[in-house]
Amino acid sequence: MRPPSPSIPEREFLLKALEQSLRLDGRAPLQSRTPTLTFGPELGWVECALGKTRVLAYVSAKIVKPTPERPFEGTITIHSEISPMASREYEVGRPSDEEVTITRMLDKVLRRSDAVDKESLCILAGERVWALRLTIHCLADAGNMLDCACLAGVVALKHFRRPEVEVIGDEVIVHAPTERAPVPLSIHHSPFCFTFAFFAPSPSSQSVPITILDPVHLEQRLSNGSISIALNAQREICVLQKLGGVPLGAEEVVGVVQVAVGKAKEMERLVESALKEDWEGRKGGVEVR
Amino acid sequence: LRELSIGYEGLDRVDGSARFGFGWSFTGSAAALSSISGPIEVRLAAENPSQATFEVLLRPLSNVPGTESKALASTIRNLLTPSIILTQNPRTLVQLVVQALIPAEKFYSPLVASIINASTLALMNAGSIPMRGIVCAVSVGRFRSNIMPTSSLILDPSDDELSSLQGIGCFAFLFGTGQTGGSEVVWSNWQSSISFSEEELIKARDLARGGAEKVWIGMKQSVGRVG
Repeated sequence: MRPPSPSIPEREFLLKALEQSLRLDGRAPLQSRTPTLTFGPELGWVECALGKTRVLAYVSAKIVKPTPERPFEGTITIHSEISPMASREYEVGRPSDEEVTITRMLDKVLRRSDAVDKESLCILAGERVWALRLTIHCLADAGNMLDCACLAGVVALKHFRRPEVEVIGDEVIVHAPTERAPVPLSIHHSPFCFTFAFFAPSPSSQSVPITILDPVHLEQRLSNGSISIALNAQREICVLQKLGGVPLGAEEVVGVVQVAVGKAKEMERLVESALKEDWEGRKGGVEVR
Repeated sequence: LRELSIGYEGLDRVDGSARFGFGWSFTGSAAALSSISGPIEVRLAAENPSQATFEVLLRPLSNVPGTESKALASTIRNLLTPSIILTQNPRTLVQLVVQALIPAEKFYSPLVASIINASTLALMNAGSIPMRGIVCAVSVGRFRSNIMPTSSLILDPSDDELSSLQGIGCFAFLFGTGQTGGSEVVWSNWQSSISFSEEELIKARDLARGGAEKVWIGMKQSVGRVG
């Protein structure tokens, strides 16, 4: 069921506050919520929380026969269906706009940007390859599920370890994790997504639209447009997506990209330290590489 | 019975949510997360003029929900319906969404028990749906025994014990008013690879009843911790 639009007092208060560069939760306009990463008992199970927005990602792998067009590459499939758990406005079976945006963006950011090296997933050319399946579950939608889902997906891929495989002639032996340490995926680069929401300026004030990073649910509903940028810490832009909304000039877009570049470096540091901390905790049990 | 881990998630956009797991360590735990929204607006097609519509959605961790999810969701719906009073809010919808937190190709008994317990906790956490009682579930396994008919039944088998079991089942009990008495079986599901007798099933059920009481006490204690 679609919820009713935000009330007029909420709308006016939010817009007036934004004109003075104040946000409802006290953040600066270009400050995002700090992500919290929780790793599960399995390798490849990650829960990412951006404030109250929470997304769970899980990676699993199995061995299949490759498609005849690409006998040397493995495959990655991404499932991201939003259930009514994220919010009661999502219905089962009918993809909402948000769901379509998230699915398409995840596809572009994680699959088409070649973040994971697909050729390294090949075991026996033309016969056996790894098929990775990344499932994204949106647990709670408090705004900006897209960034949360992309982050959870990237961290899950970095966290995942696949069983080691030995090929002798034409025979393939898969070693259990208890025999030989599982192997990490070969990842070219880690893209992170940043979403900015725009509000049309009131005619009396300055003519530049107001930009905020990482909108909350209310800000997302009242915004006049948004732009999502996916890039990695090496300053390479993977995806830049703007779906309608307030027109932006070139200087604004460049400014937004500069902000995103800075944030990407921070995010990379945060992710690396979280992954390292998790490995330290696991060393007692399973031998990992 | 493994140590129970109960948490009230406080998911933002739903009325009540809870997480339940049997055991909480790196050595395998059957855990599920459930959320309740209700009473909320219902689609015209699913509207019932005399009571609320109760909808259950079940999602496995890996892959999209398939036939087995739908079958189990319908079982859980029938299981939980006696415990909630639906006639209080006609023409509304009570929506339960359960997310399995461990990767499993099939929904095996300890996971089903976790799902039922998590759903009950979410209903309690929401507080907006009147309930008649609390449904607690626990799984029982039967060890391989080649000698005696007095086979060893084990309560809440863990993942490493699962491979040496000949039969496994899940029992759900409805605890009504009263301190410890008054629990009736709402649902049971017993699968065995060899034949079994009715008295063995009754023994398993009694063992499960004891386990379910412990789960019930655990739930009561967790509510005390929340405040």
